[in-house]
Parts: sequence; C-alpha cells; structure tokens
Amino acid sequence: MKNKHIIEILENSPLPALSDSDLATITSHAKECESCERAYQAARLSAIILSERVSVPVEPSPFFQTRVLAAWREKQSIENVPAWSRLWKSTRALVSSMALTTAALGVLSFFAPGVPSAGEDTASAYSAEAVLMDQQSDDQMSYEQVLSTIYNDENDDDVR
Amino acid sequence: MANRFFRQRALVEEAAQEVFLKAFTQLDSYEGRGSMEGWLTRIATNTCLNMVRSAKRRPELAVADLTDDENHWLDTNAGHTGDEPQSVEDKVVASDLADRLLGTLPAEDQVALFMIDGENASVKEVAEATGWSESKVKVRAFRARRKLRETMEKLLGSKAGRREGKLA
Repeated sequence: MKNKHIIEILENSPLPALSDSDLATITSHAKECESCERAYQAARLSAIILSERVSVPVEPSPFFQTRVLAAWREKQSIENVPAWSRLWKSTRALVSSMALTTAALGVLSFFAPGVPSAGEDTASAYSAEAVLMDQQSDDQMSYEQVLSTIYNDENDDDVR
Repeated sequence: MANRFFRQRALVEEAAQEVFLKAFTQLDSYEGRGSMEGWLTRIATNTCLNMVRSAKRRPELAVADLTDDENHWLDTNAGHTGDEPQSVEDKVVASDLADRLLGTLPAEDQVALFMIDGENASVKEVAEATGWSESKVKVRAFRARRKLRETMEKLLGSKAGRREGKLA
C-alpha cells in the first residue's frame, strides 16, 4: 500500500514540482524498498531528459522570413484567381480532349462511307444462305439414298 | 512553440511557416477577446499537434536501440542521487534520448508531458493552448508520465540485467 502511494506521488505531478515533504517521503521509502527505488530513479532520469530537451533551442535559418513571405504570396495569388478560372485550369485537359473527340466523330460522320441500305443487307443475307446451303449440300444425302435407307429399314423390320 | 514539438530545424520551420500562414488567413476570425499571443499559441499548438499525429509513432524503445552515448549517459546518471550539472554533450544526448522516448507516446500525451513537466506550464495554460478541458490535460499528463517512467524503468532494468549477466 505504501509502495503504491509513492508511485502515485511520482505520477501525479512532475518531480521538480513536488514539495520537500513529498520528496522526503519518497527518498526515505526508496532506501528501504527496491522497486520504489527503481521507480524513483526512472522518474528522476525522465525529469532530467525532459528538462534538457526543453533547454535545446532551434534557431531558424536566416532565410526563414523570406521563405514564409514567399509562401504567403503564393497562397495569396492562388486565392485571388476566380473560382471558374481555377476550375478551368484543373479540367482544361479533359474538356479539350472531349471537344477534340467530338469534332473528330463529326468529321468522320460526314466523310466516311455511309451505312449500307436494307436491300443490300437482304441480298447479302441471301447470298450468305446460298453459300451455307452449298457447303451443306456435300454432307446431305440424295433423295434416292434417303428412300433406299427407309425401305431397307422397313424390310429389316419385316424379316424380324 | 514549434521548437517544443520538433528538434529538426526543417520540421520546426515547416511548422512555424504553417502557423504564420494559418494566422494570416484566419486573422478575420480573431475577435480580440483573448490575447493575440494566446490565439497564436493555440493555432501553433494545434498545427504542431496535427503534424505530430501524422508522423508515425515509434515502437517502444529497447536497450538495443540505444546509442553508445545514450547508454553511457544512462550508466553515469542512473547511480547518482543528486542532479549534477550536465555538460554540453550530455545535454544533447539527454535531449536526443528524450526525443526518442517521447516519440513512443501518443501526440497528445507528448504535448501534455512536455509542456507541464518540461516547461513547467500549468494545467490551465496547457488547456488554453490546446483547447482541451483541464481534466483531459491532467489525464494525458498522468498517463504520459507513467508511460515514460515505466519505459525508463524497463531500460534501466534490462541494462542492470545485462551487467549482471556479464559479471556472472
């Protein structure tokens, strides 16, 4: 319970901000308790490194002011351009390519060969059918062959 | 202010530039109720906090990750009871170590711990700078203090373990 109390003191406020009585309690207990001694040492070292971290300043470069002013001017110039202009800048490539494609399609529709008429379609369909029929005719049986096959089958049935 | 959060000059300048730009653009929103300094501090704190948040949190520090200088610093300072003055080199090493340890904490915890324990700022001051409630500041600082102490204790423990291993 006493151990817990000391760790609570260490965690509740920064070590340098502890009162003398709190510090006395901690140090006297730490002498007797190994785990509290470890906790106290860790808290002490943590406090030292934090204070050293604060004491190391970073000086800005001599060009820092120029850099900030340049960034500010750039930001201002972007904000002063109207919204439609910014929109146009961002979509210019897309709109241009769409316009170009539309124009190309328009030109093609005027100068390219027209769509064949319905009559030509039928003729080509018939001619296709004729070609198919011609191809199939080699595989088809002649009328005599069909008749002879039928009669042969009937004769076979009669014999059975 | 940016110096509180970052040690690399490039990052400090980047944060400071962002703060100035934000302050210029949001100047209309300053109503003159509080001090100009307070208003700027709040912008700076939030800007830096966002930058810390976007940076990847480092995994927990182990003894193997420490540099020779950091190991030496811990060995020299762990045994002492008083707070002896640090040499310039030691100050840099301690500061590096603080940076590495702070980097393992969440951004909010880093801010609370750094301002309260490092800069002796009051809970109220931190609350004003960050816009958090005072209880949130207290909780963050408490958690961060505990985590930092535990990490440091682990480091010291494993160093002692290694020393004992070598002696055996």
